[in-house]
Amino acid sequence: MKKYALVIKEDACWGCKTCEVACKQEQNTPGGISYISVSEDGPRMVDGKLDFTYRVTVCKHCENPPCRDVCPVDAIIQRDDGIVILQSDKCTGCEACIEACPYHAISFDPEQKVARKCNLCYFRIDHGLYPACADNVCPAHCIYFGDATTIDTMIEKKEWLTYRIEGKLGSWVVHIDD
Amino acid sequence: MKDFKFSNVEREMEVYGYDAVVRSHCRMCHGGCGVYVYVKDGKVAKIQGDPDCPINHGTLCSKGLASAQLAYHPDRLTYPVKRIGPKKSGQWKRISWDEALDTIAERILAYKEKFGPESIVFGYGTGRENEAVIYRIANLLGSPNVLTAGHFCYGPRICTSIITCGTNPIIDYENAPQCIIMWGNNVTISNPDCYKGEPFSVALDRGAKLIVVDPRLTRPAARADIWLQLRPGTDAALALGMLNVIVNEGLYDKEFVENYTYGWEQFVKRVDEYPLDRVEEITWVPKEKIRAAARLFATTKPAAIQWGVAIEQQINCADNDRLLMFLMGLTGNIDRRGGQVLYRTPPIVNVGQFGAHAMLPREQAAKRLGGTMFRLGSRFAIINPKCVWDAILEEKPYPVKMLFFISSNPVITRDNAREVYRALEKVEFMAVADFFITPTAELADIVLPAATWLEMDYIGDFWKRHGYILPRRKVIQVGECRSDHEMLNDLAHRIGQGEFWWKNFEGGLDFILEPMGIRWKDFKEMTWIRGEVSYEKYKQLGFSTPTKKFELWSTTLEKMGYDPLPQHREVPESPVSAPELYKKYPYILITGARQPGFFHTENRQIPWLRSLHRDPIVEIHPDTAAKEGIREGDWVIIESLRGKVRQRAKLTLGLDPRVVSAQHGWWFPEKKDPGHGWDESNINILTDNAYEGCDPAVGATNVRTLLCKIYPETRSGGAS
Repeated sequence: MKKYALVIKEDACWGCKTCEVACKQEQNTPGGISYISVSEDGPRMVDGKLDFTYRVTVCKHCENPPCRDVCPVDAIIQRDDGIVILQSDKCTGCEACIEACPYHAISFDPEQKVARKCNLCYFRIDHGLYPACADNVCPAHCIYFGDATTIDTMIEKKEWLTYRIEGKLGSWVVHIDD
Repeated sequence: MKDFKFSNVEREMEVYGYDAVVRSHCRMCHGGCGVYVYVKDGKVAKIQGDPDCPINHGTLCSKGLASAQLAYHPDRLTYPVKRIGPKKSGQWKRISWDEALDTIAERILAYKEKFGPESIVFGYGTGRENEAVIYRIANLLGSPNVLTAGHFCYGPRICTSIITCGTNPIIDYENAPQCIIMWGNNVTISNPDCYKGEPFSVALDRGAKLIVVDPRLTRPAARADIWLQLRPGTDAALALGMLNVIVNEGLYDKEFVENYTYGWEQFVKRVDEYPLDRVEEITWVPKEKIRAAARLFATTKPAAIQWGVAIEQQINCADNDRLLMFLMGLTGNIDRRGGQVLYRTPPIVNVGQFGAHAMLPREQAAKRLGGTMFRLGSRFAIINPKCVWDAILEEKPYPVKMLFFISSNPVITRDNAREVYRALEKVEFMAVADFFITPTAELADIVLPAATWLEMDYIGDFWKRHGYILPRRKVIQVGECRSDHEMLNDLAHRIGQGEFWWKNFEGGLDFILEPMGIRWKDFKEMTWIRGEVSYEKYKQLGFSTPTKKFELWSTTLEKMGYDPLPQHREVPESPVSAPELYKKYPYILITGARQPGFFHTENRQIPWLRSLHRDPIVEIHPDTAAKEGIREGDWVIIESLRGKVRQRAKLTLGLDPRVVSAQHGWWFPEKKDPGHGWDESNINILTDNAYEGCDPAVGATNVRTLLCKIYPETRSGGAS
């Protein structure tokens, strides 16, 4: 089975935070929590030049997710298609996963006292819809969704750009094997 | 196998069980982006970009996606109210639309009778596609006074482009400019006027070189081939320096200069007054960088300048605009494919015609406030705000008795905010139309509930110069809210203008579309209409200017008694122009860098958007912060000659240590007292509006560059 991936080309990100709100609209995330968030990195001096980029923090759906391994109640599962799902309704709020995530991609919901994170809009994917943040919302076109094996080619070849130049992004179809 | 498609409308409908989807056109800023609005149980359930829309290609911004949170906000005003206590008492009573509009109409007619129509000032903030309808009612009433942001935002680009080359040159992103100067602008965050960030971003993906002119290190500046970090307020000198290189190294388009420009010889003399040594001294930008940028821009074809409001909110407003057009023109990029095009709108009744400027009697036009002072602005029906405050406070040159602000919050957005507040406290009668009872509305007598873009039919982008019009279709009704167009159409009937208006505003839409032989009901079934696109039209027709040439020497400005050639003027408060003041206020304050979730004073009550920007932020260089005892995240006081406010410090290497950068537009809707924290962090408490500091031609106020001190809130006084 092909593994799904969400890849964000941070060097193209302009910091507009559209993806954050696209996610909030889909997931109706509780106040103060973002499953995807954009932050500033720098400015810092690199080789005599000021460098300044944005970083996008979101669950990377790791191949061997440390969050799953530390969860004492098995609230975090990994599907065959690679999507790592944190089932907040099974979470006891111990925060072990938050500690374990090397990407700081898991948040604590202080109201419900549970951990929450991006579950890659699996409901949408299962119905053949792009995850909300990857559904062409990004003005930099820097959020790529697909199967892990071909996503590099997608980035390399910028296939979307051909459709974009023609003004027909709505006609771009990506086939992904289940 | 699954097939994934962007904005897969059919599948969205099926999977989520929406009841309907409406293709429309967002207006969370000036308008522009094509959207799908999904509806369930009569309410907006989801907003998604239209991937086939030529403006945004399906991408959106955070504001557009949060539109439903604006429409259904619990604090939203959903019926007309009148104030029953004193101003700022926060005591309001629900009234009917009839009572509200009848009261406003009675006041208009009474003031017109007693003090003349010029005593009634209509106003809007930054245009929200309501410009033409507001001008129409004012002009037909006989009031020459419509107070907008036009004196220092977009209006100057319109005036100066009309007198230079006939219309506002818009970047032809579609045809891939190969070099872009982003000048005092960050289109990826602000999506201003005729532009969206997406096409700019795509142009870079297609290989364009990038030059950024900005005192702040934005992400585009960090990505640029050349970043020119100029001293704030010295844009004109920088542009003159670049032109000096282009002229003296012969990098200009000789055929264009020879055949299509006016005033070349005088212009060359002016440019020679700005050798790079002098320009480096004025701008702080090393001359090698200026030379490199000028060469890159002039030798890469096609090329374009992504410009915006920052260069206009300065004493040099009109000359900045003109100089940037000269850079476009002399490099042969005006009206060229992939350069900067003089687009034609489709054949409709355009903004100027709809605005009924021709119906304003000459003797009334002559009474336009500030008309003899800011003569170019006045020619284009633009007025300077201080002229209105003075007319209220001093009754000079005549009294202004009534204000009617539609989508405007001037106590936050206009310079020298305390003076604005005093004027609004004093004015005899004020009506406001807005989504919320803002700090400005708290001073009104009547507040009308304005519709969001989700609640109106309209011809989107009707006022823009990129050549497209797109249908905005009504999706929902919220309370008794009405669009600005509908309420003014109704009011017009009540003040005797009925014959020039319509039964309802659909008639107005039909009127706009009439020259194309279609009606709103036809247009509403279409995707968009684009004006005919062609390039280098000036070769056959000349430019639409008095000389039919691209005017380097402006014959219009000459006639008005201004310097016909552009020059650099120092801002009134700078280390150069005010060295004594600089000792006490030792930093250059720049204001107004945009935040993605906000549109000026808007959206601070929208949860999804406020979560992106909790507090007002002032950026400071770490060395400066260390010197002033300021740490990251501290609340600090920023103080100028006019007053002081508080914002939170963010330390950044992206600024010169002599410069600090504060945000604009802040008030705190979560504070429920009638002030709503209007003067706590509002940077316009600090800015100045003295006439001497304004652009002499258009009356732009200099809100972007002034002198300040800055110190931790917990320490009294300041380091000076």
